[in-house]
Amino acid sequence: MALPKRIIKETERLVADPAPGITAVPHDDNLRYFDVTIQGPDGSPFQQGIFKLELFLPEEYPMAPPKVRFLTKIYHPNIDKLGRICLDILKDKWSPALQIRTVLLSVQALLSAPNPDDPLATDVAKHYKENEKDAQRVSREWTQLYASE
Amino acid sequence: MSDSEMPTRPPLFFASSDSEDEDVPMDAEAEPATSERASSPASSRLFSEGSDAEKDPIKKRPILVDSDSDSAKNAARKPPPAKKRRVSPPPPPPSPPAVQLMYLGDLVWGHGWSNVSGKGYIKPGEEVKIKRETVPTKAENKAVAKGKKGGDGKKQMSLAAMLKQPSKTAAAKSKKTDTIVRLYNSRGFQIGRLPDAVSSWVARLLDLDIIEFRGQMVDCPERLTTGCNLVISVGVYMLPTAFQPSKMDTDTNEKPPVMFSEGVETLDEQLLRERKASILKLFDELNLRPTAGANFAQRKSDEEIHDEAMKKMAPAKSKKVTEIVGDGEEIEVEEGEEVTDNDLAMIFQKAQKGDRAMGEMDPPETFTLSLRGYQKQALLWMSSIELGKMDAREAASMHPLWSQYLFPLPHSDGIIDLTADQKPFYFNPYSGELSLDFPKAERQGRGGILALVAHFALQSADETEMGMGKTIELAALIHTNCEPDIDRPVEEKPVGNKHRQLKLSNAFKKVPRKKGAKPPTATLIVAPTSLLAQWESELQRCSKPGTLETVVWHGQNRLDLQGMLDDDDAGSIKVVVTSYGVLASEHAKVDKSKSPLFEVEWLRVVLDEAHACKSRTSKTAKAVYALSARRRWAVTGTPIVNKLEDLYSLLKFLDFKPWADFSFFRSFITLPFLAHDPKAIEIVQIILESILLRREKTMLDTNGKRIVELPPKEVVVEYLDFSSLERRIYDSLFNSAKRDFLRLDAKGLVGKNYTHILAMLMRLRRAVLHPNLVLTSRDEPNKSSQDEEDIDVNELIQRFANDDDAAGANVFAQNALQNLDIPDDDAECPVCMDVMELPMVIPECMHRCCKDCLLTICAKAEEGGKDATCPTCSRGPIREKELMEVFRPPRSSQNPEPAVILRKNDFRSSTKLDALMHNLRFMQESCGNKIRVSARSSFSQFTSFLDLIQIVLKRDHFEHYRFDGSMDVKTRGAAIEQFKAPARKAKVLVVSLKAGGVGLNLTVANHVFMMDCWWNAAIENQAIDRVHRIGQEKTVYVKHFIIAHTIEGRILQIQKRKTAIIKEAFRSSGDGKGDPESIENLKIMFGDEEE
Repeated sequence: MALPKRIIKETERLVADPAPGITAVPHDDNLRYFDVTIQGPDGSPFQQGIFKLELFLPEEYPMAPPKVRFLTKIYHPNIDKLGRICLDILKDKWSPALQIRTVLLSVQALLSAPNPDDPLATDVAKHYKENEKDAQRVSREWTQLYASE
Repeated sequence: MSDSEMPTRPPLFFASSDSEDEDVPMDAEAEPATSERASSPASSRLFSEGSDAEKDPIKKRPILVDSDSDSAKNAARKPPPAKKRRVSPPPPPPSPPAVQLMYLGDLVWGHGWSNVSGKGYIKPGEEVKIKRETVPTKAENKAVAKGKKGGDGKKQMSLAAMLKQPSKTAAAKSKKTDTIVRLYNSRGFQIGRLPDAVSSWVARLLDLDIIEFRGQMVDCPERLTTGCNLVISVGVYMLPTAFQPSKMDTDTNEKPPVMFSEGVETLDEQLLRERKASILKLFDELNLRPTAGANFAQRKSDEEIHDEAMKKMAPAKSKKVTEIVGDGEEIEVEEGEEVTDNDLAMIFQKAQKGDRAMGEMDPPETFTLSLRGYQKQALLWMSSIELGKMDAREAASMHPLWSQYLFPLPHSDGIIDLTADQKPFYFNPYSGELSLDFPKAERQGRGGILALVAHFALQSADETEMGMGKTIELAALIHTNCEPDIDRPVEEKPVGNKHRQLKLSNAFKKVPRKKGAKPPTATLIVAPTSLLAQWESELQRCSKPGTLETVVWHGQNRLDLQGMLDDDDAGSIKVVVTSYGVLASEHAKVDKSKSPLFEVEWLRVVLDEAHACKSRTSKTAKAVYALSARRRWAVTGTPIVNKLEDLYSLLKFLDFKPWADFSFFRSFITLPFLAHDPKAIEIVQIILESILLRREKTMLDTNGKRIVELPPKEVVVEYLDFSSLERRIYDSLFNSAKRDFLRLDAKGLVGKNYTHILAMLMRLRRAVLHPNLVLTSRDEPNKSSQDEEDIDVNELIQRFANDDDAAGANVFAQNALQNLDIPDDDAECPVCMDVMELPMVIPECMHRCCKDCLLTICAKAEEGGKDATCPTCSRGPIREKELMEVFRPPRSSQNPEPAVILRKNDFRSSTKLDALMHNLRFMQESCGNKIRVSARSSFSQFTSFLDLIQIVLKRDHFEHYRFDGSMDVKTRGAAIEQFKAPARKAKVLVVSLKAGGVGLNLTVANHVFMMDCWWNAAIENQAIDRVHRIGQEKTVYVKHFIIAHTIEGRILQIQKRKTAIIKEAFRSSGDGKGDPESIENLKIMFGDEEE
């Protein structure tokens, strides 16, 4: 199956003009599969961390959203132990006008603004709700533990 | 006696004594008549008047038999002898030779059996008469006579003499079943019969009165008993009657062949066949072999051929196919064996060998175009045929139907004179004819008819390779040979200026000549309706103004043809162009009122696309035969469409004797072909060699260059994928059709439900083109604009263009609208991130997106049961039909339309349509506006698809024209005119495959899009060749659109199967059943895809 023009274009642009704090490199053997890194946003408990993710563009893309998952362990109410992300645009709010770049930027933004009201990792969400400071501390520890170089 | 003794035998034939004959008064008259031939071994014996035996018995030579002085002919007419037993009296001595008896050889027949008993009937060495008996056989048999013993050894009479002539029909009839050949002694007493094995063919020869057998008893018992064995040696002599033309050739030609029904063998045919068979058998027995000419080594016996052919015919009988001939005339055609490509190649190969070296001829001054080399050759060829000069291609070889034999040398007194020359004779194993004259292979090889019959020929190009300028060649011919006959007094009065202005057609008329025996000068051209205008314009184009007058005789306003032709005008040549349809309808009413078409004697009749009358039973064909003309030409790309009999109709039109006689044609060509006798093809080759000039584009001229240099042709197949909606619709149709088919197939009912299955296939083929073609408004899921399609799209566009000022609700929308006409060619679709080829605007927010992407989004949303929303801002819901297309009409100076318009997305396209439009747009952009495009769809049944194509073209403001079979001549002509007219804009002509297949010249276009595929690739190619033909100067690009994984791929598969090339893949027969081949093809259609 030939790679749709759109994917090629997106890839080119990601390489040529990367979003700050984000890299996405396709695998040589599967151009729909990307190794992604996201820097933890400044001012968030994830600051300084480099988080690895994988991103896969399904056959129907862009009619269907990409599949994105954290590979690096992260303590975040909307990201579960397996790295799955609870983000609306990756699900029902997906629009074909969104792109890899916008998705990753959204993920990055999610790190800055956890949303414990719509949790995926319930225990983390509970922690965040009950004691945000302590939760952020754990997040920082995890970041240091797992997301530093 | 052994054979070796034979040589000495002849002496034994004595003339018999007359004594015995007295008592047979009746016979005397009858028998002599038939029998008398003297034989002369040496070849030169004459047919004597018959003296009989009186001559010295020992000289065997002329064994004359009873004689009547009559020639063989008279003899033949005589009534059969009333009495059986007695033989005629010995004739008078031989008189001057009128005709010769030719010695053919000797035979020995054992196993004759006697039907008398007693002594004295005959002794070894005595003469035996071998003859047929007319009397009812039963009586005869009983009549075994115990006769007295015949006399002594001396009965010598001529033997064979007593051939009985089948006298009248009644007699002939009984003969048929009765093949008894009786033996008589010299006194005329019957002594026995020949064995059945021998008598079966000997009887025929005797009946035909062409061979004489002179027998001599070799061995028999002293005393005959009923059933005892007789051994006879026989000298075989050919009678002069054998060399008379056979009845077939002369008589039957007058009868219109239509009288014979195909399946039934006529009496004539049967006689003919029996004659051939018996003669061949005789030659075989005599061990006579052709020394030159047809080679019979692998020839099947005639009986075999007949049987085999009949076998083939039998099952074929039930198969009738409806074909369309002429102008839409439908006829039932019986299927015969198809001619394969190989056969065709062989057939034509001979006909065109040596063509390269043919001479050339320049057209007269009145012809304004210049001819190419091969066209000049054709002109010379046609012209010389018309004028009856020698064939441009000389053929002096022996007529291929004939074989040469040598008469064996007779032995005279036991010595064979080796110094003597063997005289040759010729035998035609097909007609059974014998001849002493060398049969030359030449046109109209049959003497006697040759003189005034038209000069004819077929000029042809291969089916797929039209466009060889045949119109031009014929026009040149018309200019060259405008005089009725060479010997016609040339009395062209140079004319004054007297013009009668009564009618348009009189405009050029000059002084009227006296009426009366004015030889015809006018040419009639019969062509398919779609080509009438083209003929007219081509004829005018190549003529000096005023030298040629053309009249299209068609439609309601048919001029007074007779008047027009009578007003003769020495300075101009008259050409009448009419259609097959008119011709047929005129012919139909010819009984009631006279039709000028058939009243006029034409100088020349030209049938264009002459295969239109290939079926001899069609009205068209009958009308064509009824024309009276001195010169006849049939022009066709396919003289043989798929059966050898197709050729017959042309020969009939050309009046090419003897082949114009159907039973003749059938006996010598159709039946042998059915029996796979290679001779059939050879004969056709011969026929064509003299009357057919065939040209292909790829042929080389004398200099080794192609006779026609055409620009290259690039054919591309573009595979497309269905949209998911189309896929779903198609798949559901296909699956249900497949289920049906498998169910029927399992029950073995495919044949019975053939039409039903064909209908399903048709539906599938339409589904591939556009879902709307298969969805009735009832089962259409989201009812689309079927109704609105009739609304003027421009009007809609206009309305929306005006409306949308009010549409913008937000700032972005307003901006978007205001900026609509700013060409932002680089605008990228947010979804596919490509340049928006066909941007669409979402009415809610005025966000733009390309059409494909938006429609996909809508389809996707619908699938998931959700409302579609704007991909950019998620506003929604959006509905397909409310979307607006941003459309930029092609710009041109005379185009007043706004640069950008919005139009409602009320037309649902299809994958194929989109592909077409995509290609057209692309060409328009990349090549400017200079390209003309001829887009065609196939097949009149899909004119509804042509409609859709026109709609999209209109939506995109392409200048387009339409050409299909449903339009009348005028409209079609106008469409073509406009399409051809020079313009700066790209133009598109939408043509149906069928209408576009014939004759049409579309060389102004150089792009062809084939929108669907037809079973027979040749038909498609023919359509493409409308564009890729003489006159085309640019490379021709052809694109086939094929939707992947659909029935279309399988159609291509079938196209590749050899059989499908020649015939339509799915013919149904009259009773709605398919033949096995077709069912096989069906299985391909519904089989699992192998990929």
